[in-house]
Amino acid sequence: MSDNEEKQSAGNIVLVTEGGSIPNPHEFRLINAWSLSLTFAVLSLFGLCLFWPEPYLRILLYLPDGILVTFKITLLSICFAVPLGFLTGLGRISRNRFIKLVASTYVEIIRGIPLLVQLFYIYYALSRFVQVSGIASAVIAISVCYGAYMGEVFRAGIAAIPRGQTEASRSLGFTRFQTMFYVILPQAMRTILPPVGNECIAMLKDTALVSIMAVPDIMQRARSFVGTTYLYFETYTVIALVYLIITLLLSKAVSIMEGRLNYYDKRAR
Amino acid sequence: MGTRYLQLALLLATLVFTTQATAAEKYIVASDCTWPPFEILDDKKQPAGYAIDLIRAVAKAGGFEVENRNIAWDGIFGGVATGQYDIVASSTTITEERKKQFDFSDPYFEIVQAVILPAGKKISSLQDLKGKTVGGQIATTGIFVVREAKIDANIKEYDDVGLAIQDLIGGRIDAVVCDDPVAKYYANKKKDSMGKIHVALTTDTKEYFGFTVKKGRKDLLEKLNRGIKIVKENGTEAALRSKWMGD
Repeated sequence: MSDNEEKQSAGNIVLVTEGGSIPNPHEFRLINAWSLSLTFAVLSLFGLCLFWPEPYLRILLYLPDGILVTFKITLLSICFAVPLGFLTGLGRISRNRFIKLVASTYVEIIRGIPLLVQLFYIYYALSRFVQVSGIASAVIAISVCYGAYMGEVFRAGIAAIPRGQTEASRSLGFTRFQTMFYVILPQAMRTILPPVGNECIAMLKDTALVSIMAVPDIMQRARSFVGTTYLYFETYTVIALVYLIITLLLSKAVSIMEGRLNYYDKRAR
Repeated sequence: MGTRYLQLALLLATLVFTTQATAAEKYIVASDCTWPPFEILDDKKQPAGYAIDLIRAVAKAGGFEVENRNIAWDGIFGGVATGQYDIVASSTTITEERKKQFDFSDPYFEIVQAVILPAGKKISSLQDLKGKTVGGQIATTGIFVVREAKIDANIKEYDDVGLAIQDLIGGRIDAVVCDDPVAKYYANKKKDSMGKIHVALTTDTKEYFGFTVKKGRKDLLEKLNRGIKIVKENGTEAALRSKWMGD
């Protein structure tokens, strides 16, 4: 973490991520938190299914369609949340007072309402006016919610680029638009993408909430399995391990991406 | 004046002391209060309904005390298995699968499964639900019946039956399956769903409710069964039935 901070300051970039949640891309030791967790998770799951196929293997085989639904909701939500977050971030730093006000109000409102309440609201409360399917409601609620969070990440990332960059670019005759897209954003992306990746992982975990709308995701599959077998411990152990393995793999992917993006910082040192 | 208060305090203290000393054993009862008219929350957010009244009457007859708690259906069996509460009084049908893991009291209520459809729609058998979206409360026997009928219906499992009914009225699903008294309550008594839906079909297979306890709680089962027998014989049970399910 401190290592990371040092590096970031060398590149004149402020760290906007919550830090430890994604593995350090420059950590090359064989034994680290990430590899330990993954080994633990994979070995436990594998061991349980191998030595006690009844009920562990049965539970695992009950899940695949749920995993697909979870992925589907996550991917669709990412497709909507990232552009929404980008627009919100730009809106938050806009010189147009109206746009700024709209973007800021959106962030304030959405950040103040729990995602679970938003899900209930879109699926059950608004059903009086519009009927949206469970998966569509899930995608809308999660995109709108995470769009607000990501808006803040984009805003912070862009704000972290020193003002001198804008001034230099403007004095070279770039328009505001060109400055933003050719000078500021390419630099800001390096700070923005890792925390955005982090948000996407958090999003995947939060999709567990959609089971309240009768959407058959991993969590709902687990609950209906428990409902017939009453194997609470066994089922939720498998579910926890499955979620853990998925998020560990994703966080490694984000970490690799972060490493690539920091390529120039590394060379400068 | 002062001595009078002292006397009162002393009296109260002795009262509390003696009642505690002679207090019958107290058991905690879990119910998922989303299943009217068996288990619901009253205006004061306290558990109420047929099953709540019944377990209180059974306790009185069986010589023990109960404390009612509202517990989500999803984990209600887990809590009784780990001993967080002693009895589940939540319209639990006695099934073979459940009997492997828990013990049940003697049956106290008989139901069948009912299919609720939007007003005006009809079906003649469960098979007619083929290809339809059928909702119900997660892990209830209503869901099991549809699943076991293998009719290729799209089953949606809701956290509670009220949400499923709401989706049925809204038109997002085609049918809801639940215990017939619950179905009748939503179709005939509950203000916001009355008239919009109706009980279109009831199954022939009878199911029996029993109070659920942890495996091996023979002592508790004995007390429960004794209480059930008494309230059935002395007419208390019939009175409760007409109180909660009469017209």
